[in-house]
Amino acid sequence: MRRAMADVSPCRQSVCRQTLTRGHPVHGILTAVGQFAIEVSGLTKTFGGTTSALRGVSFSVPAGTVCALLGHNGAGKTTTINILSTLIRPSSGRALVAGYDVVRQPAQVRASIGMTGQIPALDQMLTGREHVVLFGRLRGLRRHQAKARADELIEQFGLVAAADRRVSTYSVGMRRRVDLASALVVPPKVLFLDEPTAGLDPRSRRDLWTLVSSLAQQGVTVLLTTQYLEEADVLSDSIVLIDHGQVIASGTADDLKRSVGPSYCHVTPANPAHLSRVAAAVAGLDGIAIDADTASVSVLARDGVATLGEVFRRVDALGIELADISLRKPSLDEAFLHLTAETVT
Amino acid sequence: MTALAALTERSLMSTLRDSGMIFEMLVPVGSLLGFTVALHGLIDTGPMSYIQYVLPAVVVQSMMLVALLTADRSARDHRYGFGERLRTLPITAAAPVSARMVATLVRATIPLSVAMIAGYTFGFRMAGGLGYALAFVLIALLLCLAVALGADALGSSTSIFEGTSQILLFPQLLLVLLSTGIAPGRNFPGWMRPYVRNQPVSQVAETLRGLATGHVAIGNLVTSLAWCAGMLLVFGAITLRVQRRTS
Repeated sequence: MRRAMADVSPCRQSVCRQTLTRGHPVHGILTAVGQFAIEVSGLTKTFGGTTSALRGVSFSVPAGTVCALLGHNGAGKTTTINILSTLIRPSSGRALVAGYDVVRQPAQVRASIGMTGQIPALDQMLTGREHVVLFGRLRGLRRHQAKARADELIEQFGLVAAADRRVSTYSVGMRRRVDLASALVVPPKVLFLDEPTAGLDPRSRRDLWTLVSSLAQQGVTVLLTTQYLEEADVLSDSIVLIDHGQVIASGTADDLKRSVGPSYCHVTPANPAHLSRVAAAVAGLDGIAIDADTASVSVLARDGVATLGEVFRRVDALGIELADISLRKPSLDEAFLHLTAETVT
Repeated sequence: MTALAALTERSLMSTLRDSGMIFEMLVPVGSLLGFTVALHGLIDTGPMSYIQYVLPAVVVQSMMLVALLTADRSARDHRYGFGERLRTLPITAAAPVSARMVATLVRATIPLSVAMIAGYTFGFRMAGGLGYALAFVLIALLLCLAVALGADALGSSTSIFEGTSQILLFPQLLLVLLSTGIAPGRNFPGWMRPYVRNQPVSQVAETLRGLATGHVAIGNLVTSLAWCAGMLLVFGAITLRVQRRTS
């Protein structure tokens, strides 16, 4: 897996980059129509007339970026992905993928997307290699092209040893890799990954993150769903926080964190007796508070790192020895809890 | 076309690897042995030898079995989400089911050949000439296709896995055993005869028997074709619905 993901760059050189420069239509990475690769507005989905899975979801994803749909189980993430990948039709609202309407132009949408699901959807009776070749041919490659491309992907995804064994003998991680390789046989404009790291060990997860980032660099727009805040934080350019079928916040990870509250600079003198000297040193700055329990002084860091620098210079000028100085931003967890709690009440 | 070819190849590859194929090949031999050895001399088929009489029913049984096992294959695609994934690809909605049907027909030629070879060793003969022999094969495959379409739709819509075809084996057995394919209608109790004589297996077996000897009753041929066409129409419509179903 490690080598799988690390070796993705050769893929770019061999197929994707060529297509970027030449714009060869077969391989699909062209500049997306318009500025956004995905535009969703007022999407609703009602199952069986009563259950509302989506209640007016709107968001857009700029071309070539990674967007994470973040939310609890049952929040509506998979329903959204299924509508965008033309598997189900929305009850109302509009969605454009790569510039095409998912309801009126499903064929064009399908030609522009790649998809992996929560559970890898594989033909258990085929080998990994046969599976990737099949998807190449279904995407219009000739047999020999599909075979050559499959060889490349098998190599890149570290599946060489298992390539000629049946998929049914594979581990979850290996199945995910086959699924993903199949989605990338012809590089899509938009890639949907539904909980791509569910069931993966930490290293495989990191490898997948590397792969997703490199795909985005190649111009692929990635929309993934996740329940992991860390994943959304590390991986995505933007986050759409979804809860009970509604978007409750969207923006960058930093935007979301800021919505909870500002950052604070915490200063801890080596000697707790110096607490008041520290407080005096930072006098004049905003939001100073002395916390006797942790023997630290906190200062509102409206300017982030600049505030921290200012605090450090002042304290250092007085020769006060420090045990710790840190800038503490609200975590995405806090943002998540804060924002989802708001909708509940 | 590429999609259909690729998916057909894939269906054939995956069916070559499951046990169903061997089962499909053994059934005609087993049935033929069972019927001819066990029932030899017990059933009066007039001037016609019993093997000549019963082989069409064995062919019908084999074709129905191949068709029913299609249910397991479509259920497998359905259950593992593979069928759903195919719907996100730029291929026509009918490609996956068409591919399964083509693969089923290709598969059907194997037990059909096995039945013919076994039949010939036991004394069965195609006495009607090449045209009749060809019609024999085509009608057998047509029946297979018609039943397979229904089995496929059931497999794609049921949440019961692997056992899908087993549910269908019971009605299949009733159709084959209670038919004039095994014994002439007069061997069955009077109240059962209307069913036994008119049900599709009896009709198709009779048509095949006629084609093998070179004498087909037009009325019976029309009935057999009507059964097949009717099933194709009904099951085809259901399959279309299942394929188009996008909740």
